[in-house]
This record gives sequence, structure tokens and C-alpha cells, in this order.
Amino acid sequence: MRWAIVRFPGSNCDEDARFALEKVGIRAEYVWHTERDLKGFDGVFLPGGFSYGDYLRAGALAAKSPVMEAVRRFAEEGRYVVGVCNGFQILTEAGLLPGALLANLNLHFTCKEVGVQVERNDLPFTRLYPRGKVLRLPIAHAEGRYYADPETLARLEGEGLVVFRYAPLKDEADYNPNGSLHDIAGIVNEGGNVLGLMPHPERAVDEVLGNADGLPFFLGLVKEVVR
Amino acid sequence: MPRYQATLLIELKDGILDPQGRAVEGVLRDLGQEVESVRVGKVLEVVFPAEDLQRAEEKAQAIGRLLANPVMEVYTLEALREL
Repeated sequence: MRWAIVRFPGSNCDEDARFALEKVGIRAEYVWHTERDLKGFDGVFLPGGFSYGDYLRAGALAAKSPVMEAVRRFAEEGRYVVGVCNGFQILTEAGLLPGALLANLNLHFTCKEVGVQVERNDLPFTRLYPRGKVLRLPIAHAEGRYYADPETLARLEGEGLVVFRYAPLKDEADYNPNGSLHDIAGIVNEGGNVLGLMPHPERAVDEVLGNADGLPFFLGLVKEVVR
Repeated sequence: MPRYQATLLIELKDGILDPQGRAVEGVLRDLGQEVESVRVGKVLEVVFPAEDLQRAEEKAQAIGRLLANPVMEVYTLEALREL
């Protein structure tokens, strides 16, 4: 199994993504943003970071990269595309996922662990989690406030496209770290193959580093192919 | 070919909360200014060649469509002049 990790100028979670993918036995290869061909890959990972320095809007300029046309075709073929953090912002800017990620309500760059509830577990990324489980996952972003117009939100909820939602780890009231509508932390497209999320599962795959709540996310990808 | 300069204004749509504007608004009030509201947008000045004014306006509109995100932003061609 072979996944591409797309590197844009300013990506900085590419190594973390590779560490996580290789930990579960997936061959991970870096692909520069000027590539136009993703043949031979089973999945594409758009890592976090600050592509193009977040100029214009976070993810806006990366969304126009040559590689994104290839990612669009790849997604249309039903292959798996995962965007984490800046990768999620790029997917929304490219129109591969609906909505947008706006500046956090408190205007702070927020870097901490938050509670993230698994809303559905019929997807490869979440199949190894019990539905409703609240994971502890790191976030690190300044533009993570999920926004979509009321019709889009209703469609996301109606079709069950919200995969991850911020939730209290204990009983804290301020569990939503950025003001996302409907506490949305991650969504998937109708085909179930394009996923975007603000939290970083790839930064939580090893107990030695203090948190392995993200490991089943990657193990699920492997299980999908074996199946 | 003539050169043109377009001034494009990109703003958040009405109804979308602009925390940056809110922060500026708060500071202006702290400084004793009586303000109702502040919204922060972006101004882009783009210089490009075009055959004539009509073609220049088409190009400027196309650039606005490329750069504004219609999910939460609107763009306005504020000015267009031949250099």
C-alpha cells in the first residue's frame, strides 16, 4: 500500500504524516506540489503547515497548485484523500469539501489537546473507533472555525457527513476551541473518500510520545485494503 | 499593449462574524472613538496588460473570481485605470 504526502511550500506536518503512515506499514512518499500525476498511489495525504505562509487565506494559494487538479481527479475516482489542518483548509479552498475555515473566534493560534467525538465509524479512517468515543487529539491552528451556510450545514447533518465533532474531555463547557459551527472538527464528502479534519491524528500515534488516540485512524486505512 | 491597474476589494459577506474587525472595533472604542462597527477586508492592486478598457474589466473580474472564496467572501472591482 502506497500513499502520497503532498508537500507545499510551507508544509510542516509532512514528516509526522510519514511517521504515522509508516508506523502502520504504509509506504509513504513525498510528492511536490508541482506534480500533475498521482498514478500508483492508494491514497493522498495533505499535511498540515502554513502553505504559502497562509497568504491571501489559509490554504487558498495551495488550492491552486498543479497537484490539486491531480488530487481532484484522484478523489473523483473514489480514492482516499485525507487533509489535516492546513490540508483541510486546502480541501475546502479547492472545493473538494464544502464550507470554509475562518479565523478562530478568539483570534489566537491555539495549540493544545482537545476532545474530539467520533460521529460515524463506517469509514476506513474511523472504523476502529467505537461510535461516540471521545478521542484526545492535538490541535494547532489559527483558522479552524468551520463555517458553512445554513443549507450546507443542514445537508452535512442530514447526510451524516460530520465525522468528528469537538466534545468535552471531562465536563468543560468551553470544549469548542475555535467557534466552529455545530462543533464541527472534521467532515467527509458524499462518497466517503475525501476527509478533512482540523485535529492532528498523525501527532498522536505513539504512547511514548504521550498519546496514541490517533493510531487507529491510520490502522483503519490498512484494514480497508486488506478487506 | 496598454497596461491597467485594477483595485479589488475582498470582504467577508454580511452576517459572517469577523473577529478581527471586532478586535479593531474594541481598540477604537478604548481610544475614545465612537464607532458602530468595523469590518476588515483586503485590497489587491493588480497590474496587467489588456487590449482595451472592456477587456481589462473582464480580466479584473476574472481575477476577482479566482481570488475571492465565494463561501464567505465577496469581491468588488473598486477602480480600474489605464497606466
